[in-house]
Amino acid sequence: MNRRTQALTVGLTGLALTLAACGGGTGGGDAEGDSGKVDSIKLVAAEYSDETAGFWQSFAKTYEEKTGIKLEVQVVSWDDIDQQSSTMIQNGNPPDILNLNAYASYAQDDLLYSADDVLSDSVKSDLLPNFVTSGTYEGKLYGMPDLSSARALFYNKKLFEDAGIDAAPTTWDEFAADAKKIADLGDGTAGYAEPLGPEEAQAEFSIWMFNNGGNWKTDGRWTINSAENVETLSFLKKLADDGLTQNNPGKTNRTDGAFADFAAGKAGMVVGFSPLAATLDEAGKVDYGVAPMPTNNGDEPKSYGVTDYLMAFKKDGNADAIKAFYDLYYQPDQVNTFIENEGFLPVTTSGVEKFSSNEDLKVYLDTLTGVQLTPTDDPKWDTVKLAVQQEIGAAVGPDGDPKAVLDDLQEQAESGS
Amino acid sequence: MTLTRRLRPYYLSLIGLAITLVFVSPYAVMLLDALRPSGDVLASPPTFLPREWQWNTFGTVLSDARFLNWLRTSLVVAVSSTAIVLVAAVPAAYFTARFRFPGRTAFLLVVLVTQMFSPTSLVVGLYREFFDLTLVNTYLSIIITNAAFNLAFAIWILQGFFSSIPRDVEEAAHLDGCGRVRTLWHVMLPLTLPGLVTTVIFTFIAAWNEYVVALTLMQDDDKKPLTVGINSYVTGYQQHWDELFAASLIAVVPVVVLFALIEKHLVGGLTAGSVK
Amino acid sequence: MTDQLDTPVGAAGTPAAPTAPARRRRRRETGHASALSAVPWLIVPLLLIAGVVVYPAIALVQASLSDYSITGLRKGSAGFDNYTSIFQHDDLWTVLANTAVWVVVVVALTILIGLALAQFMAKDFRGRTLMRWAIIIPWAASLVITSRLFTLILDYEHGILNRLLVNLHLLGEPIDFLGDDSWVMPSMIGVGVFVSLPFTAYVLLAGLNAIPGDIVEAARVDGASPWKIYRHITLPLLRPALLVASVLNLIYVFNSFPVIYTLNDRNPGFSHDTSITYSYKLAFKAAERSVGMSAAMGVVNVLLILVVVLIYLRIIRWREVTQA
Repeated sequence: MNRRTQALTVGLTGLALTLAACGGGTGGGDAEGDSGKVDSIKLVAAEYSDETAGFWQSFAKTYEEKTGIKLEVQVVSWDDIDQQSSTMIQNGNPPDILNLNAYASYAQDDLLYSADDVLSDSVKSDLLPNFVTSGTYEGKLYGMPDLSSARALFYNKKLFEDAGIDAAPTTWDEFAADAKKIADLGDGTAGYAEPLGPEEAQAEFSIWMFNNGGNWKTDGRWTINSAENVETLSFLKKLADDGLTQNNPGKTNRTDGAFADFAAGKAGMVVGFSPLAATLDEAGKVDYGVAPMPTNNGDEPKSYGVTDYLMAFKKDGNADAIKAFYDLYYQPDQVNTFIENEGFLPVTTSGVEKFSSNEDLKVYLDTLTGVQLTPTDDPKWDTVKLAVQQEIGAAVGPDGDPKAVLDDLQEQAESGS
Repeated sequence: MTLTRRLRPYYLSLIGLAITLVFVSPYAVMLLDALRPSGDVLASPPTFLPREWQWNTFGTVLSDARFLNWLRTSLVVAVSSTAIVLVAAVPAAYFTARFRFPGRTAFLLVVLVTQMFSPTSLVVGLYREFFDLTLVNTYLSIIITNAAFNLAFAIWILQGFFSSIPRDVEEAAHLDGCGRVRTLWHVMLPLTLPGLVTTVIFTFIAAWNEYVVALTLMQDDDKKPLTVGINSYVTGYQQHWDELFAASLIAVVPVVVLFALIEKHLVGGLTAGSVK
Repeated sequence: MTDQLDTPVGAAGTPAAPTAPARRRRRRETGHASALSAVPWLIVPLLLIAGVVVYPAIALVQASLSDYSITGLRKGSAGFDNYTSIFQHDDLWTVLANTAVWVVVVVALTILIGLALAQFMAKDFRGRTLMRWAIIIPWAASLVITSRLFTLILDYEHGILNRLLVNLHLLGEPIDFLGDDSWVMPSMIGVGVFVSLPFTAYVLLAGLNAIPGDIVEAARVDGASPWKIYRHITLPLLRPALLVASVLNLIYVFNSFPVIYTLNDRNPGFSHDTSITYSYKLAFKAAERSVGMSAAMGVVNVLLILVVVLIYLRIIRWREVTQA
């Protein structure tokens, strides 16, 4: 080696060492303070809209002013949040608080604090009872609701008028007849936009199921392939077979499929919720009405509700910081601001009172205390839901067999649970 | 004969225009979608031109502080990754092109195999490693990652260029009293400029558009690169297609500018192997 | 097999003119050096590769041998269970068949069209610069966004392409490009070729530009036809560039995630997935929700692509190519 080469060696090795050794990043919220208490915690939040990050950033400021504890916020899109949280947990580095649409599997793995450890009584007593029920696993509340939504039937007033329909349908027979009248208007108009593609098929099927007296679980046992549910799925298939829906409903997603069709004025009816209303109002193209769902047997209409969760991970010394987080989040000016920003529905009694003055939300709020939810309190649901998303679309295709699909889902739900 | 001669450039221009249109047309759709209200993007029946023009989308995006942060991250990361790739790949490519040594085959094989892992499957291990080094949420983490992911291409390309330059050229430089390193710098690099330019463009674009690793390692909103950040414009509950597409088109500009700046070297018609 | 790596590969061929004296070729042969003296030249790439690829790859193999809860919590060792689960999975063969079609067709079309494109880009005409800038755009744009754009363009209901084809009377009825089972793969292949072309065309163009003009000129003076020149001079000298373009395309297309995942996101099940999206869905989108199975598939994917590349190199007889 000549001198020049040696110089180069030293230079390159130096560079390599610099690359390997310069630090200065921040890890997770596991920095220990003096008293064995953490001085920072980390929140991983799902992104509902482009307002989400802004809300949590100002929330973090308030939180730090109040407690002196730093709140690190990571906002992740719904598409990626399962992967991101899984990566963290695989590496033994979960966040302190995770905002997700499922919690039971985490509770089952004994990763979470229950409300007994981190929720003030005043906060807990303000939560709506049905959300407490859905957030309770084996007798303890683990899934604290962050916001909720309830579904209702959206209908296009202009198409109803063109088809000579004067009121929203209340029975399935009326519904099918109305859908036919609208489809008969021609020009590629769908009577009903039916999204059974993988994005949210379980939601679409749920609301129809509930309005035929069916459910995913009855008295603690899976009843996916009950006679009512087979009837429901066959009804949805028949709508497709009769050409009353948009093209290929088993391969239509909600957001860029069914909602887009309705927003374009190409569908007479769709099952929607408040964020859809916000989108429609913003575009101002479709004059729509919102009505309760039609039922098959003349029962009281049921609404399908969804809540997402804020769950807290057990780590040394973070319990007080998490309690302070929940105390702040559930203050009316925080939680309701968040919900209002994102166009969703409240999860607290005080929130329902606050929102009840809003005419637009009345149709949902009336149903909110009685909404039915999916069995999110059963860890098994976390995988059954995915099976539903990946399989149910095939049942409404031309060669679909609703009973066979539901039998298969029932079998998967019962296996190993 | 003379007639066809004179007509030829005109034919060529027509074909060239057709090719241009093919490559531009999807992005023209993107541009037109950026210039209409988001609700119109999914309108049915679709229209080529916006039903109503919305001229301020690009202004909205460019004045969005979040967008500017994402843009800065992308620029820092892409430029730094490209620089590291050059520093790492040039000596390695030169040496393996010029010398046989024990382990050379193994080295080249390893370099090639590293390209075969999809970033998606490496991301869990990368997170663990950078977390242990407390480098999560730092530019350095994704700069290093992007550099490593693009080494193989750079080494391959550059090695080909180096080995096509006759040794006579180098020997001549040696006789003039240059050391090996100076020969590399003054004689070889200018001759391999097209290879370097190819490497720069390739690495820059790959780093500019990397998604999965940045998504996992960059957790603060203001540290996300463009690819990750702009997805905020279209979420499951709220769609601003106009802003998403405007932001995406703005993101293409730096790459095209870089390309325009160095393109002539790529196309210089260098005659590799000529000994003057 | 591995000794084939011993020869230099690159975009610039070694133009050995038929008349080149053997003496000159010998002067170009590589010298010899000790392993120790190679260290300073190779250390930076080696460190980068060790840190960014080797370490996570080991973590991947470990994960593939572990049993995980759906939350990502490791429950213990799984032995080879994840691998057996994968090979017993009903959809594996569908996925492998899709992967084969996707890789072979996209790479073949990309190389063929890329060759023609590069040839054309090397010509001199008005508008050439504009064309070169246009060709870079699909490469410069984020793949995730381009894929999203194509889901809009190809949509049955609101897609502009159907509107265009129907208006031009090329179609009587719109086609459900992304939902009709016989159209999903062709649509994905079309987008796949579109986004792979720029890179390929530029690699091949760099190769073309490295061919000394005087050889071609000499042949032309000797009265050889353009096709003959292309067949016997240009193409052989392009082989190293073709090798780089095809091997890298094989790898990139095999590992291509956004195009398939996005264009196929409305279709339930695995009927149009390739092994990369299959691996991702096993972890997060399918009822398996198994990080371990997903990691095992990740390992299988690397072995698959390795075998494919080695077979390809064997087929095209790498040694001959690189010793032009």
